[in-house]
Amino acid sequence: MGASRAQKLSGIQKQVLSLYRGFLRTARSKTPENRVHIESLVSAEFRRNAQSIDRKNFLHIEYLLRRGKKQLDQLKTVDSVRLSSSNVEISDTQKQ
Amino acid sequence: MAAVPVTCVRLTTSMQIVGKTSALKLVPMGRNKSGFPCLRTSRFQISCVAKPETVNKVCEIVKTQLALGADTVVAPDSKFASLGADSLDTVEIVMTLEEEFGISVEEENSQNITTVQEAADLIEKLVEKKNATA
Repeated sequence: MGASRAQKLSGIQKQVLSLYRGFLRTARSKTPENRVHIESLVSAEFRRNAQSIDRKNFLHIEYLLRRGKKQLDQLKTVDSVRLSSSNVEISDTQKQ
Repeated sequence: MAAVPVTCVRLTTSMQIVGKTSALKLVPMGRNKSGFPCLRTSRFQISCVAKPETVNKVCEIVKTQLALGADTVVAPDSKFASLGADSLDTVEIVMTLEEEFGISVEEENSQNITTVQEAADLIEKLVEKKNATA
């Protein structure tokens, strides 16, 4: 069924990748220093969750998606000076 | 040329829908399948277009992005997955390529890129399009 070409991604996987792309795109608009910072934080967060969360745990993934979208909106609106706030949020979640 | 990816996307989605729905809908699948060979030929045509410089540049970017050693060979037909890239890495690669070439890859297209060659072909096409509009 044409699956031999690319790995088929589920809808939720596409959403996650799209969110990740959104973060990376938004990071471009920040200063180079902050950009590197944002990218490393975001990348670490996505990878950590990809490792630790069961891929069938849709409720949790959907919750994280919603939260990530909100954080992305914040990152889009506030200027890079206020990056530290989103930084705190991310480190907060690491305590859980 | 620009019409090719659009039809491609439409075909794949219709295939997915067919796959998910009941067996009743398996009849139109035969028609869809007949659409695939023509897709393949169009892809081969495009792959002749990509210049070696572009392919080399893509190879270099992929190498640095995945932090591969100098001894790792990145060939045009190398799959990102076989180079150790996961889907997040692929997103990063496509984003870096976008920046390097000054183009913008659409969501649907970026998910279809699995090899260096595919990336180079798409880049050539988008760069051409950009130059045409500029």
